Amino acid sequence: MFKAIVSAETLSSALDSVSVLVDECKIHLEEDGFTIRAVDPANVGMVDLSLDAAAFESYEADGGLIGVDLSRLEDIAGMAESGGLVQLELDEETRKLHIQIDGLEYTLALIDPDSIRQEPDIPDLDLPASVVLEGKDINRSVKAADMVSDHIALGVDEGEEFFYVDAEGDTDDVHLELTTTELIDLQLGPAHSLFSLDYLKDMNKAIPAAAEVTLELGEEFPIKIHYGFAEGQGQVTYMLAPRIQSD
Amino acid sequence: MRLDEYIEGLEPDEEAERRRLAKEKSYAITDHLEGFERRFERALSGDTLVGSTAPSIFVGRSNYPDIPVGLLSPVGDETAADEYVTSGTWYQEHYAIEDVLQRRTGLLNSSKRTNVDAPSIASRLAPSVDDVWDGFVGVGREVAIADRPVDVEIGLAGKPDLGLDPGTDVATPRGPRAAARRADLTENPHVPRPVQKTLADDDWQAQGAMTYLYRRGFDVYEINAILSAGALGESSQRRLVPTRWSITAVDDTVGQYLRGRIRNAPSIDEVRVFENEYVGNRYWIVLAPGTWEYELVEMKAPGSIWNPDPSGEVWMASASEGYEGRSSYVEETAGAYYAARLGVLEYLESIGRQAKCLVLREVSDDYWAPVGVWQIRESVRNAFDGDYGEAETFHGAVAAVSSQLPVSHACLRRKSELAAGVQSNLSAFGLE
Repeated sequence: MFKAIVSAETLSSALDSVSVLVDECKIHLEEDGFTIRAVDPANVGMVDLSLDAAAFESYEADGGLIGVDLSRLEDIAGMAESGGLVQLELDEETRKLHIQIDGLEYTLALIDPDSIRQEPDIPDLDLPASVVLEGKDINRSVKAADMVSDHIALGVDEGEEFFYVDAEGDTDDVHLELTTTELIDLQLGPAHSLFSLDYLKDMNKAIPAAAEVTLELGEEFPIKIHYGFAEGQGQVTYMLAPRIQSD
Repeated sequence: MRLDEYIEGLEPDEEAERRRLAKEKSYAITDHLEGFERRFERALSGDTLVGSTAPSIFVGRSNYPDIPVGLLSPVGDETAADEYVTSGTWYQEHYAIEDVLQRRTGLLNSSKRTNVDAPSIASRLAPSVDDVWDGFVGVGREVAIADRPVDVEIGLAGKPDLGLDPGTDVATPRGPRAAARRADLTENPHVPRPVQKTLADDDWQAQGAMTYLYRRGFDVYEINAILSAGALGESSQRRLVPTRWSITAVDDTVGQYLRGRIRNAPSIDEVRVFENEYVGNRYWIVLAPGTWEYELVEMKAPGSIWNPDPSGEVWMASASEGYEGRSSYVEETAGAYYAARLGVLEYLESIGRQAKCLVLREVSDDYWAPVGVWQIRESVRNAFDGDYGEAETFHGAVAAVSSQLPVSHACLRRKSELAAGVQSNLSAFGLE
């Protein structure tokens, strides 16, 4: 059983943050909200998303599992006008999702969840450094790095106490330092890792500019990126494997 | 008198510069062209080239979609026509640059301008070359799909232009050219059965048909000719494809097929370094454990054909892809990227493994005339026949190789995505 009404904006934000990594996903329809966990085919990036029942106008579910084609569902959600609502209802018999937007009815064929890749268990990583900053600072860093290179180094200078972004291209370099005065919070720890901009650019697209974003970093270790959306009732965690420089 | 001698900053025409370089390095070519001229006179009857045989075609790309389609024929050396077709055999027989240029310059390109999908008035209603088997284009298509040289008679519109034109790295250097009015087959071409099958199936998409031919043992050279002639793919989509584009399209398509074959294969378990050298080009191929990732980095020495200024710097280019391939166009390295990738993927598929792969190509100033992208494909393919070196780590291998490169290790790390850092995956950090 699943029946819900949600603002198109909230639904789109949730779907967009997952579709940067995968084309299809499983949605767990829990009693207290829905959750999605997915890893990209290359095993480089993963996303863990939850959207609380409180983020919906109305929400009823009893622990079902559905498989969806994300771009289809995103396209449908895109049909709503700004501020519009999307009504979702699962037909258990036909295994189809009935969607209503302003009188528009759309019946979406679902994908057998068993045919979608097994969801990963999140690795338990002990990441020594943590940086809290605004989404727009991530956007600025990624955009500037992309002008010169295909990868970006993120790290923490423990001595001088700042978070830095480095990108080295054929000829040009980008360097950005953010100190505790510009950051919301900084937990010092040894951290320096290189990441593919292909992935970070996609993740960045999903991060709202005004969101408070937490980065957890280590030395040649994956980065964890946490942020909230839908007034804090939705949470996303990305994890991205580094490009290894040393061996 | 040259303008650039008087106006500061005006670059001499690049093509002209390459021609000059090619001429300086080998007078043999000019001698060869004179020989060609004599043979040509003998083969001509009125304005018709009789008793000729065409092993292949060349589809140009100038003024697309109204492009020149050319029948290539070795004038006066008809019995050896097969040897004039570019293929892996050239590498196997250790052709030097001179040998390649002799083959190329001994091949008359009799061309006629035509529309890629509407060579005749009738075909303008439903643009496609699917049914075009008459006229000049029809004869060209027959020649392209045949598996051996086809006897033809070519009506020329004038005398050939013998100017040596080295062409470009992807396209082939062309020899003498003549404008053609008409062409007639003087024998029935022999078309292999799998080609007849792809030809007859009118809703088989081009990519699938190309892959089918490859799996049936056709090499990319043959598939390229068939694609170029618009003789495979969905019938409404069939059109003439400039040779230069079709080479890249076939390398890319077959490469994607092979990449799919190793997608779930286990990784190699050690770092291997392969090396090869051919016609002034040196290759290092570093394979390392992990999921598929590929990069080609090219370093072109000052004074080599693509970097003519002898006092300049080493010119570098690179392009790479991750596990899922590229979504964007290759801006640097162009056709070489796909040709080298094909060679690597063929090797990995043959051993049933995947790997991270960095191909380094150094072009020395001994590479004084471009012989075509086949040189890259064959050099990489054959690099795997030799012994390989082993290394503890990928970056260790790159550091060791870079001591032999014309650029510093630091410089390589800036230019190369893989040398800067190799993509790890989450399973290495406990993801299950």
